Amino acid sequence: MADLLELLVSATASGCVYGLIALAYLLVLRPTGVINFASGEWAMMGAYAAYVISDAGGLPPILAIPAAALVLAIIGWLTEWLTVRPLVERGAGHLAPILALLGMLVIYHQVVLLSFSEDQYPLDGPFGFGRIEFGLLAGSYQDFFIVGATIAIFIGFWLFFERTVWGRSFEAVAINRRAAALMGINLRMVTALSFAGAAAIAATAGVLDSPRGSVEANMSLPLAVQGFSALIIGGINRVEGALLGGIVLAFAEDLTRRYAPIPSGLALGVTPVLLITFLLVLPNGILRAKEAK
Amino acid sequence: MKRKSLLIAAAAAVAFWSGSAVAQSTIKIGVITDRTGNARFYAEPVLSGIRLAAKHINANGGLLGKKIELVIEDDGNKPDVSASKAQKLIDAGVVAIISNSSSTSSQQAQNTTIKTLTPHVTHNGSDSLTRKLKHSCFFQIGPLGSIQIKTLMSYARAKNYKRVALVTDNSALGQIIAKFFKIFLIKSGVKVVVEQVIPAGSKSALPQMQKVRAAKPEAIFQAGILSREMVLFFRAYHQLGLKQQILGSFNLSIPSYLRTAKGLMEGVAFIDAYDPRKPEVQAFIKVYTKEHGKKPYSLPAYGYDDLGVLVQAIKRAGSTDKVKVCAALKATHKWVGVLAAKGTSYSFAKGRAGYPVEGAVVRLIKNNDHGPVVHSGTK
Amino acid sequence: MGAAIRWGGAALIMCVVPFLLPLYEMDVYRKMLFWVALAISYNFLFGIAGQMALSHFAFAGIGAYTVVILMTQAGVPLLLAIPLALGLAGILAFIVSFAATRLEGFYLALATLAFAQLFIVILDEGGALTGGTGGLTSYKLPLVFGFEIQGPWLAIAMALVLLLTLAFLLRIDRSWYGRACRAIRDNGEAAAAMGVDVKRTKIMAFTLTSVMAAGAGMVYAFFDNTVNPPVFGLENAFMLLFMVIIGGSGSHLGAIVGAVLLRLLQDMLEPFVGQFHVMGLGILMVVVILVQPKGLVGIWDDLVGRKRAGRRKAKP
Repeated sequence: MADLLELLVSATASGCVYGLIALAYLLVLRPTGVINFASGEWAMMGAYAAYVISDAGGLPPILAIPAAALVLAIIGWLTEWLTVRPLVERGAGHLAPILALLGMLVIYHQVVLLSFSEDQYPLDGPFGFGRIEFGLLAGSYQDFFIVGATIAIFIGFWLFFERTVWGRSFEAVAINRRAAALMGINLRMVTALSFAGAAAIAATAGVLDSPRGSVEANMSLPLAVQGFSALIIGGINRVEGALLGGIVLAFAEDLTRRYAPIPSGLALGVTPVLLITFLLVLPNGILRAKEAK
Repeated sequence: MKRKSLLIAAAAAVAFWSGSAVAQSTIKIGVITDRTGNARFYAEPVLSGIRLAAKHINANGGLLGKKIELVIEDDGNKPDVSASKAQKLIDAGVVAIISNSSSTSSQQAQNTTIKTLTPHVTHNGSDSLTRKLKHSCFFQIGPLGSIQIKTLMSYARAKNYKRVALVTDNSALGQIIAKFFKIFLIKSGVKVVVEQVIPAGSKSALPQMQKVRAAKPEAIFQAGILSREMVLFFRAYHQLGLKQQILGSFNLSIPSYLRTAKGLMEGVAFIDAYDPRKPEVQAFIKVYTKEHGKKPYSLPAYGYDDLGVLVQAIKRAGSTDKVKVCAALKATHKWVGVLAAKGTSYSFAKGRAGYPVEGAVVRLIKNNDHGPVVHSGTK
Repeated sequence: MGAAIRWGGAALIMCVVPFLLPLYEMDVYRKMLFWVALAISYNFLFGIAGQMALSHFAFAGIGAYTVVILMTQAGVPLLLAIPLALGLAGILAFIVSFAATRLEGFYLALATLAFAQLFIVILDEGGALTGGTGGLTSYKLPLVFGFEIQGPWLAIAMALVLLLTLAFLLRIDRSWYGRACRAIRDNGEAAAAMGVDVKRTKIMAFTLTSVMAAGAGMVYAFFDNTVNPPVFGLENAFMLLFMVIIGGSGSHLGAIVGAVLLRLLQDMLEPFVGQFHVMGLGILMVVVILVQPKGLVGIWDDLVGRKRAGRRKAKP
């Protein structure tokens, strides 16, 4: 029992990281219909940014998180301005921005590889890594910090979308771009902000995750895959779906690894199997929303 | 018209290349390294060792009166590219090839070098590299997985382990090392009570380490090589309050762990091929420090010995004729390099893996640095 | 008649070239043919039938692994192993293709990407059957009349696979079926309204091109006499997509140009710019999409078209 609770704490933290990446996908996908595979690279770049900021800049870890998010928000905004806006204005289909962002993914990855000489860097969490217990719940400081920060971020976004005029205009764009434009919503601004916001969220996920392992260029692809798997599992219609999907995915992965009587290498198949299953068996919510555009 | 141009284009997936015709005023040694792929962070320090060896030899009279010229090709650690690049080096007239990306890549490159019996060496440590192909001119210089585990077991003999855990990752090399660890552990009557894999891209190693904890092993053998996942392993180990001795492969000798797993590795026993007490190592440290302004760890020494073994063979062959170099490599006996424990030497008398069986050493992590050698050899 | 001569000529050139090339260039050439063959069939799937699948390289891997496993572990003779491997790839592709009928756009990309990932997991965990992470090695093609098929002869085999793929796809592209594929790509509902059996057309396109990929993979397995998982991983699946887009998606010539160009770029740029060549790939991709979505072939058409238009204007 203690084992299970301990595992669930750690899995919840992993799920929160997936959920944040899924949110980064969602923020771009909802208003633009574009799935941005470079979200994993943004997380990785955020982790590198935090490393540089706290190592060279000497900022404490707790401040390195918003600083890295800010850096990536600028990168996200630039990305939108350089590669997506020209395509949208030309009226290219949804596929063109997806492919252009794939090209950007390669560029991002290579820039990082070329700029750093070591394969991995350490990144400290704000509260270190000691063990803490709340009754039966036991885990590391970093795990609890990840969960707390993620919940705060999701509540923030939920309030933004549900309670503010600005947030409503994002939703309006997501539901019907043309109608939203007619209503006087600045489409350009909404798109630019969603890219900047998505990059900042992805960066936060990367910075939160890195103290558990290390900052490394290879971390991007798994995050990208786990992020969109979480997105599909949770469904793309609601912000909280991203978090739910992330936690379901992380629980499935970790519980399989811990309890399923299969070699733990084979447990890697859990994510693709879940993804295929959801896409094929539970596509309703997902595909219907897409047709509504 | 359009169809015609199409066909021509299809036919002409042909391109125009020019072979290089350079006068043989140097002795060319080919290096297949990884500068763009996922092995580059190991390959680059090793390459710096190869370059250092070439520079050192050239500054001291060269080889057979000629200068050594390194011809370096990047395979991005892609096995099929590695095989092509081996052919490119052979076409460029290299006397021998050093493989410096990963075991999988050197395995595939062998399929090219075997056709012309080009001397081919690597420090990659997979036991199966010399077993899968009957390539009479392929030689292995680094410590094999089986030697590593024998050395670890010999170090732990006094502890008399009966039940141990085996943890690795899902990389090719991690799997291979784990396989040899397991074979030898079973052979020496030790029971592997739990085997766990921490796959690349994991967010935590907690599930695996809980299983390890539940199996109550007396020690944990660590065969993984993926840096991020190994940090996850150490974190979970501490988080779960495990106290068992960790015994790791040569991979834990890579210095970056001291930064990313800072403070988490105290007391870990790991295999090194590098014995700082040895005069050859002291000399190497001097040369390296002079060139780079900082002290080396063991990785550049692998490259230094790759070239060292080749050069002593070519010297004895007295020629760059491939057949003669092969014969001389095969006859390599009691050659002392930088790597391997004090009092041991390379020899290909018993097989094409020439690293001395008694040549690996065990060191402990102490004060977050590589501590002194605590054990040497398999006896 | 003229067509026969042209095809024969192309085949002849492609088969003679490998004997003229030095060994390294020959090896680069035949691996390039492999990529071109895959790019041609992938272009049909992605560019013409509009299915953004990322499973194409996995099917090449299924072909490669199956034929090797059948020959070396089950002792099946080559001539039987080939149709069996193609059959297995066909059955698997047929099953996966149902995803293509239900999912569109990047949802299909995600599902097929998951399939490709699953394939790698199975290869890695396949034990002695697949050789695990290290793959299978040290097998050989059987002797044919005492003659060892290797080197340039394999380039010929790959050239034949490539030409067969191209000829077949060109033919069906011009048929009613090709038009149906394009119609579905451009507007599925309109195509259905015109009486196209959307589901069947999609399944056929996916299965057919995947089997073609498996065919190319089978020849590839004997280039270096080794198969291992990294070759059939996600990285190369994306590379194939890049090739088709940069060359010009939807155009057979574009697929060929893209594959040849990106392979050459790697070999020719790498000595000069080192690892910057990978970044060059990303930059090329972004620029092509921003400047001319029809790829390099589209840029070429633009240039030629403008010239011709200019001439026409100048004449009268």
